[in-house]
Amino acid sequence: MEIVRIPEASELAPEDQPFLEATKSWFKIDFVPKMSRVLLSHPEFGRPYGRESRRAMSDGALTRAQKEMIVATVSAIYVCEY
Amino acid sequence: MAGTTHALNAVADGLRLPLEFAQSGRSPIVALPGTGEASPEVKAVFDEIAIFCAMDRVPAVFRWMARDPIFLQGYWGAVREAFADRKLDRLTKEIPAFAASMTAKSDYGVDLHLREARRLGLTEQGLTKAVEVVQLFNTVTKIADALQLEPDFDPRSRP
Repeated sequence: MEIVRIPEASELAPEDQPFLEATKSWFKIDFVPKMSRVLLSHPEFGRPYGRESRRAMSDGALTRAQKEMIVATVSAIYVCEY
Repeated sequence: MAGTTHALNAVADGLRLPLEFAQSGRSPIVALPGTGEASPEVKAVFDEIAIFCAMDRVPAVFRWMARDPIFLQGYWGAVREAFADRKLDRLTKEIPAFAASMTAKSDYGVDLHLREARRLGLTEQGLTKAVEVVQLFNTVTKIADALQLEPDFDPRSRP
């Protein structure tokens, strides 16, 4: 069970709403993932972290699919269910 | 692939096997059989491993396994299958294997899989990107675990 209250997307700062909408498009989903909401509940950390994550995961020297496989492997090594 | 990588790394690091490519001061805590004393069956597996990895020798972790030839044959068969070109190519598999090794802080695995990934075409720019992703998601997974976040998705669902 989560040990913090996760804010709804609508509770987050108005200036973060475009990024939250872009996050839904990025993942092709109709909700904002918990991690995005948690990170942006501390905007001084979450904003640069979110921007860097998006940049790092974009197609480039490695494809986005290859990068997602790295993410899945890191998660598997840590047995991170999320 | 993640499973066999993690397992081989655990054996290699646990036994303090010397790194295959980078310099290290590691000394194995067990005696490693030499390739010259291998039986014909083991030699056949060794030859296959050397060709698969494009090496002029057999990685120490497999030489250790040759103490039990049946186990070596079976386990190598599984590793070969996990890393073979199939729906994913070998480079696409070697990059997460490197990431798994880095995440698990395996010196042996980082050394071995970085060499393999480079040999198969990973550029320095690609390496930089891979390490960035490892770093970013070492952060995210720790935050998720610390806060005990439950998954957003059913992992069985497909987009």
